[in-house]
Order: sequence, then C-alpha cells, then structure tokens
Amino acid sequence: MKEEHVKEDYVLQALGALAESDRKREAPPEVEARLLVAFQTRRRSGWRWAAIVATAAGLVIALLLWPNRSPKATLSAVQPFPQVLEAPRPIREIEPTPRVARARRKLGPKVAAVRQSERREVVTDFFPLMNPAPSFGRGQMLRVQLPAAAMQTVGLPVREEHLDDLVQADVLVGEEGMPRAIRFVRFDVK
Amino acid sequence: MISDEDLLKAALRGDEAAFTALYRRRQGAVYRFALHMSGEGAVSEDVTQEVFIALLESGGRFDPARGTLLSFLYGIARNLLLRRFEKKRPEDSDALADELAADDDVLDDLTRRETIEAVRSAVLSLPAPYREAVVLCDLENASYEDAAAALECPVGTVRSRLSRGRAMLGQKLAVKTARSMS
Repeated sequence: MKEEHVKEDYVLQALGALAESDRKREAPPEVEARLLVAFQTRRRSGWRWAAIVATAAGLVIALLLWPNRSPKATLSAVQPFPQVLEAPRPIREIEPTPRVARARRKLGPKVAAVRQSERREVVTDFFPLMNPAPSFGRGQMLRVQLPAAAMQTVGLPVREEHLDDLVQADVLVGEEGMPRAIRFVRFDVK
Repeated sequence: MISDEDLLKAALRGDEAAFTALYRRRQGAVYRFALHMSGEGAVSEDVTQEVFIALLESGGRFDPARGTLLSFLYGIARNLLLRRFEKKRPEDSDALADELAADDDVLDDLTRRETIEAVRSAVLSLPAPYREAVVLCDLENASYEDAAAALECPVGTVRSRLSRGRAMLGQKLAVKTARSMS
C-alpha cells in the first residue's frame, strides 16, 4: 500500500520541478503586438472594431512573416490594389486635413512652418494581402507596427541590420475583419 | 514600482505605455496558468490575448476589495478555459474514480517520458476543480486568498481541493513509479 501512495512532499517536489522548468515560459511577442493594435483601435473606434482588428492583425503578422513565402514570388505578385481606391476615407489622413490647415492660418506662418517641419509621412503603394481579393465594400485603415522584415516579404529592400527594427504600416481591413492590403510608412523631417 | 491597479486605471484612460507595462508584468502568469490547465500552447496564446482584451473591456469592474488584479486575471482566464473545455468535452468533477481508472493508458505513456513531463501530464489529467487549485497554488504560488478570489469559492474549498488534488497526483505518480520499476 505504501508503494501505491507517494508522499505529499514528493508530490510537492515534483510540482516544484515542473514550476521551475516552466518559470520562464510566456506568451510569444505576437500576442503583445496583436493586443497593442487592438488597444490603439479601441481608443479610436470602440470595441467592435478592436475585437475584429486583434484577429486581423494576427493574420497580417502571420501572413507577412510566413517563412515559406519567398520575397521573389511575392514581388511578382505586387500590383496596385484597385479596391483600395474605393475604400472609405482612412481614419488617419496622410495629407494635412483642412482642419489642420485652418489652425495653421490662425497660428501664423512661423508656428505653421514649425508644425509642418515636425513630421511628413511618406508612404509606399498598397500591396495586396489577399490574392485573389474578394470585392471590397467597407473597411478601415489601421496603423500598426511590424518588424522591417515584413517589408521584404512584399519585395521592398531592407538592409540586413535593420530587419528587426520596427516600422509603421497602414493595414486596410475589410468589414469582415480580413486584412486586404498593406502599405509602409516612413517619417521624413523636412 | 507602480501598482497593477494604477497601471490598469491609466490603461483604461488610454495610456498605451501603462497597458504595455501591465501586460508585460502579468502575461507570463496568465499564459502559464492557461498552459498548465489546457496543455496546449496555441490555446494558451489565445486565452492570454482574450484575457487582456477582456481586461480593457471590463477592467472597470475590477474591485481591489475582492482580490488582487492577478487573481482577477486568473478568474477571466479560468472562465475562458472552462468555456473551451465545455465545448471540447463535458467534464464531470464527480466522476473522479472513472478518471483515475481511465489513466492506465496515459500512465503507460508516461513511463517513457522525463519526470517533468510525467508531472505535467498528471496535472493535466486532474479534473478541472482540482487542477485549478494545484496550478494556482503549487505551480504559480498564488496565495489561498488569491486562488479563492480567482476560483470564486471560499478559502476552505481551495484548501480541500488542493489537498485532494495533491493526493490524486501522488496516486498517479505512484502508479507510474511502480510501473517503471517493474
């Protein structure tokens, strides 16, 4: 009977060994990236979109960082994305909005010049993420951060030493939650 | 160090840095809890993500008087996991004897593994109420009070489930040891 029942201290010792071996296990970085996209979306658009976007962001990251996807093959598939032209107005405007322009006039030319020099966004063309893409009705543009390696997957050149750097990108997400197209953003200081 | 509660308040006000800090501080515990409960990395990732989305959605309902933020997170994770378990297969905590009897095949398999994996499998084979108590108190070192808050039961219940869970683990591991010796 004694052999059939291991003493509690042995059980605790065994559990301690398991706890120690798993002590450093944690969620992979993709989870944090998805949550941050959801967090940013929530701030802008509320929770319905945040839930959709958390899933969509995961798909984008998986799609772009899929190891079997060769840059060469993707490069040949890069075409302008016609549906994007029909997309609703993005929530983040790349060009200065009229509202900003009005404010600039009020602040005077000197302040306006400083503001203008603060940041200027330069964007790439959109690259399709679904091929063939289903028809696009409504959607939303989301600003996300991705490793620069993602740029390579759509055929954009990236220096080896910058592959792990984070870059900003705009992802066009359809109303069904699927990421449709992506463009990359660079900030230039005038 | 800023408290979890203050980070949560700031995150709910839209402070991304606070949310990131809170996530980085607590995601490991939530992930490991889900991992030890489910045994599946993919499930644990999903649950961790859902827990923090739920926190942003309903973090305003967190009441420090009822337990720590970590126990609140464990509670959310637990509910998400139980929902998944229900979909997968109904779990009957009363059918304890059946579960132990049905462990023979598992234990055959366990004799070929390392000790750590044997313990992991033994934990996973516990019925959910006992597994929760063992994972929280013995693997994540949660206090009885925190475990009770997460499991929504009295501290005495946590103690009795923990005691029973350990006994069941001892039984499972004893069978394994006996088999490997024979």
